[in-house]
Amino acid sequence: MIKYAKTAHMACLEKTNGGVIYLMPDIFIKICTLIPLVFLWKVVMSSGVDVGMSMQQMLSYTYVSALLSDMMVVITAASGWLSEGVLMRLYGRPLSVLGQLVAQTVGGWLPKLLLFSLPMAIISPFIGVSLKPASPWFFISLLLCISLGFAIDVLFDCLSIKMRNMSWLISRIRAAIIALLSGTVIPIRLLPLGLGEAMKYQPFASLGGAPLSIFVGAAEAASVLWVQIIWNLILWPVALLVFKKSQEGMVSYGG
Amino acid sequence: MGVKLASKLKRMLGLFAISAKMDLVWLLRDTKFAIAAIAADAISNLSVVSSVYLIALRFGGIGGLSVDEVLFMMAYSTITTGLFILFGSANNIHISRIIGRGQLEHLFMQPLSLKAQLLTCGFAPFTGSGNFIIGCILMVISINRLNIEFSFWWIASLIIYVLTTMVIIVARAYLVSSAAFYAPVAAEEITSTAIDGTWQLSTFPLSGMPSFIQLSLITILPEGFMAWFPSLCLLGKPPLNLSEYYPLAYALILSLLASYIFRKGLNYYVRKGSNRYVPYGFRR
Repeated sequence: MIKYAKTAHMACLEKTNGGVIYLMPDIFIKICTLIPLVFLWKVVMSSGVDVGMSMQQMLSYTYVSALLSDMMVVITAASGWLSEGVLMRLYGRPLSVLGQLVAQTVGGWLPKLLLFSLPMAIISPFIGVSLKPASPWFFISLLLCISLGFAIDVLFDCLSIKMRNMSWLISRIRAAIIALLSGTVIPIRLLPLGLGEAMKYQPFASLGGAPLSIFVGAAEAASVLWVQIIWNLILWPVALLVFKKSQEGMVSYGG
Repeated sequence: MGVKLASKLKRMLGLFAISAKMDLVWLLRDTKFAIAAIAADAISNLSVVSSVYLIALRFGGIGGLSVDEVLFMMAYSTITTGLFILFGSANNIHISRIIGRGQLEHLFMQPLSLKAQLLTCGFAPFTGSGNFIIGCILMVISINRLNIEFSFWWIASLIIYVLTTMVIIVARAYLVSSAAFYAPVAAEEITSTAIDGTWQLSTFPLSGMPSFIQLSLITILPEGFMAWFPSLCLLGKPPLNLSEYYPLAYALILSLLASYIFRKGLNYYVRKGSNRYVPYGFRR
């Protein structure tokens, strides 16, 4: 376990190797996107259309989604493990490959959590956003979301192994699909034309949208958690099996 | 003077043709990959614009803009994204990558000016026109639904505003990319932050938002010019009581500033060179 903690620590330091100053443009853009997004929802929700969520719930939903964005939709370094030579690094160490991926990814979250999420959480009351979860089940749901996120990531990574040099394209398509279907940008229930009901049970809906719905009290925790558990139980064995089969097909030309 | 200009224009068109030919060759040689790239571009853009459109559809508009006006704005955004991909497929707009990777030297070796190369090398009409075509279709649909009176002046205005938006995108990219002359490793991907990082923000309809946000996004950051401000001007209701010429003035000032800073960075780079080529250099 200490080895994995050390790996996470190294991944955290790697993000700040060039100095914290180089993380600032990203953080600046995130803040500049989050604040207008909050006001966009204020404008939209003040139209008076009943969508089953209050303005306060919607603001909290958006805000928490931005603060915990890395956890809502997990993306590991494995996306580029062929083109960027991540492969060599992972297989060259006496540790489980998937274990390293998890440790590296979690370690990589820390600088943003400290430099963006924490300060924004502190100033949230001044923007009129409440960050108090409506149910403690949120934390369980968040863990299930992260776990499912890793399983889905592994599946996409195996797809990039199969498609060889298409990892960048797969990442783009994946980001676009997940942005719409995970409920992290627009809550699934707010989708028009009956899409909300149809999309509720697909696997991506058990990512960010699930814990966020519980956080703001817009969904019954038990039903959301069951769907998340079922998708975890289905996708993890599939991911492990596909990963085992895909390892033989890895070809890398280095960094 | 006229002959010289005509010859320059002919040369530029020739260079565009070479880029187009190379794009076609790529499409024919590696069709599977090229089609995947076209699909990825289209899906990425549609995902971003459809989010805003779906919100407008669900709530019957956003901040005083009707659903069709939001569709018009999304069409405008898709056209500019399309043009960006159509003319910027060789990192010539993501210029910090070329600078940071020490690839500017490759351009210095060609018997062509840097400007001519950067202007023409990213032209990809066969694999990069998907979003532009989708944007044009969306624009026609929204124009029909909004019953906009089609006139020569209106089309000219549309072209001028789209070009203005493109100038702002390129100027901002070159302005921030100047950092890569001084810090090539750290700033290699700074255009990704400046362009891709603000993509979602640039599709927000700012109507109805507090004026401090609207003003910030048409002064400190130019995201208001990516679709919102020009769309409202084209719909005949320029926001914030500002002149319809304001985006043009902004584009002019930003491009002058970018030109000055970029030249300064380039002069520094010419004297210092790229650390890619030293024995301990990165990417060696």
